[in-house]
Amino acid sequence: MSAAGRLRYLFGVHIAGRAALRFERLRSEHKMRSRESWRHRHLERPLDVSPRLKELISRHYLTGRYANGARKVAWVTSGAPIEVLTALNIFPIYPENHGAVCGIRRTAEEYCKHAEAAGYSRDLCSYARTDIGSILSGKTPVGRLPRPDVLICCTNICQTVLYWYQVLAHHFGVPLVIIDTPFLYREAPSHAVAFVKNQIEDSIPVLERIAGRSLSHGRLRDVTRMSRDACELWLRIVESGRMKPSPITAFDQFIHLAPIVEMRGHRYTVDYYASMLRELNTRVGRGMGALKDERKRLLWDNLPIWFRVRWLGDLLAERGVSLVASTYTNAWAELADMIDPERPLDSCASVYLHPILNRGTGHKLETMKRMIDYYEVDGVLLHSDRSCKPYSIGQLPQRESLSSEAGVPALLIEADHNDPRSFSEEQVRNRLDAFLEVLGV
Amino acid sequence: MIEAGALGLDAGSTTVKLVAVDEAGTMVWHRVEETEPDLTSQVEELLESTRKLLHRVDELPLIATGYGRGLVKQAGRKVTEITCHARGAYQWSGGGGTLIDIGGQDTKAMIMDRSGAVTNFVMNDKCAAGTGRFLEVCARRLRLSLDELSSTALSTETEVSISSTCTVFAESEIISLIAGGHPVPEIVRGLHRALLGRVGSLARGAGLRPPVMLSGGVAQSRAVRMLLAEELQCEVKSFSEPQLTGAYGAALLGLA
Amino acid sequence: MIAAALPILYPRELLRSFGVLPVELWGPPGTKTAIADRWLQAYTCSIIRGGLAFLAGGGQDHADIILVPHGCDSLQGLGSVLLDFPVLSKPALSFYHPRTRSRASVDYLEAEIESLAEELQKITGREATDALEATIREEEADSVLAKLLAGRLQVALSCRDYYRLVRCREYLPAEQFTALARPWLSSESGPSSAMPVLLSGVVPEPSGLLDALNEAGAVVVADDTIACGRRLTPEGRDQSAYRRMAERMASAPPCPTRGASVEERSRHLLDLAKRSGAKAVVFAVVKFCEPELFQLPLLKTALERAGLRTTILEVDVTEPLPQQLKTRMEALLETMS
Repeated sequence: MSAAGRLRYLFGVHIAGRAALRFERLRSEHKMRSRESWRHRHLERPLDVSPRLKELISRHYLTGRYANGARKVAWVTSGAPIEVLTALNIFPIYPENHGAVCGIRRTAEEYCKHAEAAGYSRDLCSYARTDIGSILSGKTPVGRLPRPDVLICCTNICQTVLYWYQVLAHHFGVPLVIIDTPFLYREAPSHAVAFVKNQIEDSIPVLERIAGRSLSHGRLRDVTRMSRDACELWLRIVESGRMKPSPITAFDQFIHLAPIVEMRGHRYTVDYYASMLRELNTRVGRGMGALKDERKRLLWDNLPIWFRVRWLGDLLAERGVSLVASTYTNAWAELADMIDPERPLDSCASVYLHPILNRGTGHKLETMKRMIDYYEVDGVLLHSDRSCKPYSIGQLPQRESLSSEAGVPALLIEADHNDPRSFSEEQVRNRLDAFLEVLGV
Repeated sequence: MIEAGALGLDAGSTTVKLVAVDEAGTMVWHRVEETEPDLTSQVEELLESTRKLLHRVDELPLIATGYGRGLVKQAGRKVTEITCHARGAYQWSGGGGTLIDIGGQDTKAMIMDRSGAVTNFVMNDKCAAGTGRFLEVCARRLRLSLDELSSTALSTETEVSISSTCTVFAESEIISLIAGGHPVPEIVRGLHRALLGRVGSLARGAGLRPPVMLSGGVAQSRAVRMLLAEELQCEVKSFSEPQLTGAYGAALLGLA
Repeated sequence: MIAAALPILYPRELLRSFGVLPVELWGPPGTKTAIADRWLQAYTCSIIRGGLAFLAGGGQDHADIILVPHGCDSLQGLGSVLLDFPVLSKPALSFYHPRTRSRASVDYLEAEIESLAEELQKITGREATDALEATIREEEADSVLAKLLAGRLQVALSCRDYYRLVRCREYLPAEQFTALARPWLSSESGPSSAMPVLLSGVVPEPSGLLDALNEAGAVVVADDTIACGRRLTPEGRDQSAYRRMAERMASAPPCPTRGASVEERSRHLLDLAKRSGAKAVVFAVVKFCEPELFQLPLLKTALERAGLRTTILEVDVTEPLPQQLKTRMEALLETMS
């Protein structure tokens, strides 16, 4: 780490950057307060905490921008155990989240084409193609991504990340740490837990060498506690969707999810979600919903269609349909009580083995049935995501069972989370219209 | 009667092309017919009809290419379209570069070195998205001929962005765009853009090397040539009879 | 008893020691996959769709157990669907092969083999017998297979017949395979003028691919397909059967389904090409196969840098070989000569 690099980091992030972002946030907060009449016909005005979210995310990418030369950087998968990283002050970059940002900002398609021109098949995950294309073309909507010093890949969300990170390892010529989490067809066997714990332990000296410092167990405990606190708050936030009307939609959750994925283990994340929960509770107290007129409630399964989040949100809101919960955003909430700060490594092994994506298709069906009851939804939207096989395979028998056993209508939407070329607006609109007619909207 | 040195026959999926060249390699005669289901008899009749026009037809070397090449039993040699198109294009252009052939069923990109040797080639995968078929389907949906499709695309400077290049999705996309009030020329230009984006990425994947040459029937479309040049950001050349490139190359191979 | 086994990461010897013969499902070729549409989306590969369609369409009547090892996200999905939904009437089993190679992963494999043994015990109602002997029989068969693959040109068979022999390993009992294949090791064949190629990818299917290669003037001289070359596991050393099975599985040739890196694979492929004299590498890749597709761009670059030509053929194992791929192969050879 160079002195110049540290200086640039100090100035860019701590002095100029943060001040600019804070100013930006204050300005939007002021604008929100002074804007008396929110004009959307169907949606209530956005949460007051929204500008803070924007500040958090911008600060994250700003820190990343100046990180090289000042801090060590890890590129990590969304399901990777990052408590050890955070305790070692290694800065994490999430290519999946970056991919989602590219999807929302509509630059993903261009990057995908870049990757395809380099030989990466269109049948590969669009996050991976977005990421690889962004690296090969040097383009990103977030300014600049720092080069990684290490890559951390955990297979608890898919096997795709393994091949994807191997490509990254080849490209950047940096070490790749693999945390292999055997898929849980049933309950986790003890040898799987032991295997994962063993790999996490083995990764510590590797990461210590990269960080140039040794792991403080006190710090690890604090970070783990902060992770748990944030996850618990997030759980209560998503659970507020059970209120009628729901103060928050899954579309809001998709956006407010960023800190729980990227910034777990920090005090500011806990504070942010605490404020968000307070605001939601206030809205609930006033009987204020995310929609002005909530008539039907739906559950969402799978990743969002990032390049159509707003389109779909408006389409449903227009018809008084609130997407009150999603298995996707629930995934970062449901394991909160498994996290034990007093046994950070043991609980880490368990937690990172148990994400919904690392568990069987029957388990996901049970989760959906539970959510249907808890959130009292009228129907389910299953996004059949061409780019996410672990999430999507199983949806056909799941849908059959939802409509026959649970008696809840479910619609399968064929799309892709990041590649607009695998999406037909007309087909999706048609199917949704027909489905909503069935629901009596 | 015409003196010829060799014959090249390209039995494609939509048309059959027969070309005769003289000893110097100049095309001296050609014929194009729609492919008939009974290709074997079609080729027999085609060769029979040349007897009245060309000297010593049965003594001339005959090289067959195209998907039906296996059915041409009169042929002395059977060679793939890759080699034939490259040979034909090299003779016409006199140098190396990238040859792109947008065919009815498939699209290929061939990289040629200065001596005309193919150093790499790629073909589209199992999907009609980047082939001439895509334009055909779109033209039929819009009730336009292929020529009209080209002039329509060039009649406007603006275009609708069409995300899906799936031939199946494209049809419903067109219908909804028309229903949405978008002018047909903008839709058509957008369709070209979508197709050529796909073709362009195929060519880049092969290791694009300028200049770019275009062969195959679709090369006659000015819109395709112009928009492909934009996509690849380099000049795109074509030949006066682009659909004959393969048959011509086959005939040239017969001379050697 | 018969186990219908999907590809490919599972211990054959363990099943044999319970009196179960694993018969692998790679497609099978010609299977009509439409019936699988009820359970699987269209973006799953033809091996998964074909396998399920074959079983659901009556194939399961010939099997007592369905084994779906975890080799990729799609196999994971299929295995999980079969375990959790009443799709088939025969019991399903899974097996997870780790993606890393370390002592911890061999420990894990051994424990995973033990738990598969427990499941097999429940289904067959019997104990494992002579597990070590069963392992040694598989080792012998693998060693014969290794020689068969290394000495391709000595075997005077067309590529189609050669692979028919090689692929008996997927369903014959090990001892029968050894007896069938061993005589071919001492056969003699004249010099070949055909262009030597290395076949990589998933599986040498559709078989028309092999005919097309021969017709185009090429011959497969080395194999790195998941179905053949990458199944070769060396002899183990440990005298405890399960440990030995785990050791064997952990030392198979590099394959992305077991977490091998691009570097390991390109080293392996270059080495195979050097030993066999192959001039080109043909990748027969099943459409949608993520593990294979991800590594191809980098592998291709590495191989071409070493002077090898490459071509990628995207296939569906349940469909006949598309005409276009034939053309591609011929064109490759034309442009090499």
